[in-house]
Amino acid sequence: MNEIERDDQLIAAAGGLSTEISPERDLWPEIAEVIAKPARSRWMPMLAQAAAVVLLIGASSGVTYLAVKEEPQLVPVVVQDLRFERAAFGAEHTLGSVYRSAQGDYQSQLDRQLERLSPEVRAEIERNLTLIRDSIAEINAALKENPDNALLQDLLVNSYREQHALMRRVGSLTQRVMARKDI
Amino acid sequence: MKRNLILVLSGLLVSPVIAEEVDESMDAAAAGHVDIYNTAGTIEVSGWSRNSVQVTGELGDDVEELILERDGDHILVKVKVPRKHGRDIDADIVVQVPQDSSIEVSGVSADIEVAGVNGDQALQTVSGDVEASGISGDLEAASVSGDVEVQGTGANAETSAATVSGDVFVSGLSGNLEAESVSGDVIVEDGAFDRIYFETVNGDLRFAAELRDGGKLAAESVNGDVDIVFDGEVSAGFDLETFNGDIDNCFGPKPQRTSRYAPGLELSFTVGDGDGRVVIETLNGDISICDE
Repeated sequence: MNEIERDDQLIAAAGGLSTEISPERDLWPEIAEVIAKPARSRWMPMLAQAAAVVLLIGASSGVTYLAVKEEPQLVPVVVQDLRFERAAFGAEHTLGSVYRSAQGDYQSQLDRQLERLSPEVRAEIERNLTLIRDSIAEINAALKENPDNALLQDLLVNSYREQHALMRRVGSLTQRVMARKDI
Repeated sequence: MKRNLILVLSGLLVSPVIAEEVDESMDAAAAGHVDIYNTAGTIEVSGWSRNSVQVTGELGDDVEELILERDGDHILVKVKVPRKHGRDIDADIVVQVPQDSSIEVSGVSADIEVAGVNGDQALQTVSGDVEASGISGDLEAASVSGDVEVQGTGANAETSAATVSGDVFVSGLSGNLEAESVSGDVIVEDGAFDRIYFETVNGDLRFAAELRDGGKLAAESVNGDVDIVFDGEVSAGFDLETFNGDIDNCFGPKPQRTSRYAPGLELSFTVGDGDGRVVIETLNGDISICDE
């Protein structure tokens, strides 16, 4: 039997098959129940991912904040304070409370140290902080158009981290060098 | 008479401040630790073969004193200034230390220059440049407003070089490196690395050195370009991605669009056995990657 004959035989056999198969039981009620359930939003995975990112920033910032804070704090306080928040990127983005708290303290520390620096150095630091803030705004704007872009999310997280790092670095370096009573 | 008195007084007011010259030395351990503090001016440190620390230089008129003291293997060199700074607290000091010493050098508005010190080093200033050469131990070099330049001897070490507003230039180092700037360029030349992480927000990144077998390189820039030229053969898995820039790759594969609706490009490929890893990300910068 050649290939064509084999195909003909298969086609003939297929033609003999029943075209309608009745289910063993009535499936419609179960199907209707599934349809009636509210559809899972396609945004949910993305929001969950975004929330996870913000949680990560918050946790990271919180741990770092506690590590560098002058007066020791009880670690469990941070854990209790961490919670998921609506964290859409773009214009409506919000950051975790721990992140905001850490940022506020870093900013206070930075402000104190900036007062001790020359106007030129202060201006340089402010210019660089503005650069980072502009970058964050630019990445957020791009994320608004491409909310599931992993590269943008990565860059955003790192930019927030860089912002904290700069504030921490300037604050701690200045404090470490200038606050010494022996110089 | 009155006129003469006025002339004498005004002459005193405009006469140049005479800096005090210093030249002090003290015995030191061959591989001890030396702390050096100078608020403003310049700090030059060099290693020598003698087991002693010598400080020479000039102190500004408002500097209280130069302190040189020893506590066991620990030597302290500090330029003491009043709590309420006068106008002339600058001091330019040259400190020679035993070449195997570890050192910590701190300044506020001071340039730091170190050469030929083999021990670990921590160099930090707020407003000023940091320059270190002949590095063979671990190094942490940081400035806020200034350039950081490091030249190694090829010895394996852990190195961190960071500035906020300035460039970072690193050459002849080996081992692990972290280098970053916010608004400046970061350039790494020569040397051989196991781990290297460098980043900038608004500057360019350039790497022209060897990535050892199993080595990892991560580079990130928001608005700057990333230029990688591997010295010698490289064996690694590559993940390159830019949101708004181009990717130029001389290893062969062409980058792909990340989305039909966004301008991004990405490129993943493997060279050699792929036991190393290279990850590069930019927002607006171009990525160029090649070997010699």
